[in-house]
Amino acid sequence: MGLSYQLVLWNKHKKTYDTVIAIGMLLYIILFAAITLAFNSETSLETLVIRAFGSLAILMLHIILIIGPLSRLNTKFLPILYNRRHLGVSMFLAAFIHGGFSLFQFHALGNKNLFYSLFTANMEYNSFVNFPFQVLGFLALLILFMMASTSHDFFLGNLSAKIWKRMHMFVYVAYVLIIAHVFLGAFQQETSLFTIGLLLVGFVVITALHITAAFKESKLDNAKQKALEGWLKVCEIDEIEEERAKIFTVGNERVAIFKYNGKLSAVHNVCKHQGGPLGEGKVIDGCITCPWHGYQYLPKNGQAPAPFTEQVATYELKLEGSIVFINPEAFKEGTEVKPVNY
Amino acid sequence: MTLGQRKIHKFTWLLIAIAIPTLIFFSIKNLNFSEIKEDINVVNQVSKRNALKVAENEIVKASLFDNSIEIILKTPLKRASIVVYAINEKGLKGTVLGQISTVGIYIFKTKGKTKGIVIFDKIKEVEITKLYF
Repeated sequence: MGLSYQLVLWNKHKKTYDTVIAIGMLLYIILFAAITLAFNSETSLETLVIRAFGSLAILMLHIILIIGPLSRLNTKFLPILYNRRHLGVSMFLAAFIHGGFSLFQFHALGNKNLFYSLFTANMEYNSFVNFPFQVLGFLALLILFMMASTSHDFFLGNLSAKIWKRMHMFVYVAYVLIIAHVFLGAFQQETSLFTIGLLLVGFVVITALHITAAFKESKLDNAKQKALEGWLKVCEIDEIEEERAKIFTVGNERVAIFKYNGKLSAVHNVCKHQGGPLGEGKVIDGCITCPWHGYQYLPKNGQAPAPFTEQVATYELKLEGSIVFINPEAFKEGTEVKPVNY
Repeated sequence: MTLGQRKIHKFTWLLIAIAIPTLIFFSIKNLNFSEIKEDINVVNQVSKRNALKVAENEIVKASLFDNSIEIILKTPLKRASIVVYAINEKGLKGTVLGQISTVGIYIFKTKGKTKGIVIFDKIKEVEITKLYF
């Protein structure tokens, strides 16, 4: 959470995260090169670079794509989500090396323009098996470039969270293009069942996790609540842990009801930064802290502490005996609501 | 995420779950993995009956006929440009018969007496293998 934009707001966690990424990438490249040279010593350096970085980028993309659903299914994975943005940019760099070397190796050394050659070297656009797979990889690389170049709070702040999120959901289009790129490439170049098998395992794992997480979320969204004179019953007060929240669905929106210092307060569950689930965070130093990137809000009014300006909607609560009730009508973002004492 | 974003995520992944297996199905439908192996067996039988001469090593099998030569590439060579030359009467690398790429059967027309073949990596200027009849 920062007031002004810097290239990277470094902290201890980000440094650790990035060190792990860098070491992991280096180890993978070394291991890939060693195995390749051991089993196929005639491999050229260009081919080695293209394949090592290409496979590294795919592996990283798979990791990136499973972080989201894993975090929704189990909050223990949230620390991996914290700096996923850097993982994404690192993945783009690996993909860029793969794409750059491939373009140079296969299309830059002839008498035709590099991009003209890319799109016309194979014209079987009407074939499933012989479709020009390099074009698919190139289009995926363009999407990854768009995402990597806007992976900064400057763009998030200026484009709005809604537009930024929509842009970054193009990663799914990139994923489909990459699957097709590798799948067709493996078929056309080597008929490699091993490569295709690995890709299919990755696809099944990613898709299964996303669909499982989506249905789990739908279950929560569709939970029907009984209204009592305009108030909705939430839960017994003991069901909420101290400094934590209970997430409750009101109409089409989720609300996080926090229990802290003998008080209860309710705010809209969606963080203004990247849409993180505030109700999965906790109260730290008197502020609700988003579990994704640490953005903070005051429980009583949904306002980020000064000098920050983010605000979320607030809700009115009441306590009858040990049962917590909520008024489903949201107050305007940043409206102060007196906490319920218990 | 908001409710709308959660719905978009859900339907996107349901769509991907259907689209990718469909793509894979239509691609595999156009392939026949046993085609090459079966063809090699068939041609081996034909070659034994009709070929004037046959030479073979672990990479390639060559069968010489009256006006043609049949080459069966048994293992992938993993090279960008592979050219097959005929070995002439002097025992030297002679005329170009043609190019080969993946594992499979290739038939080239021949002129004059062919004493064997040389398979050559034209880019690296390296001889891959040589067969004499």
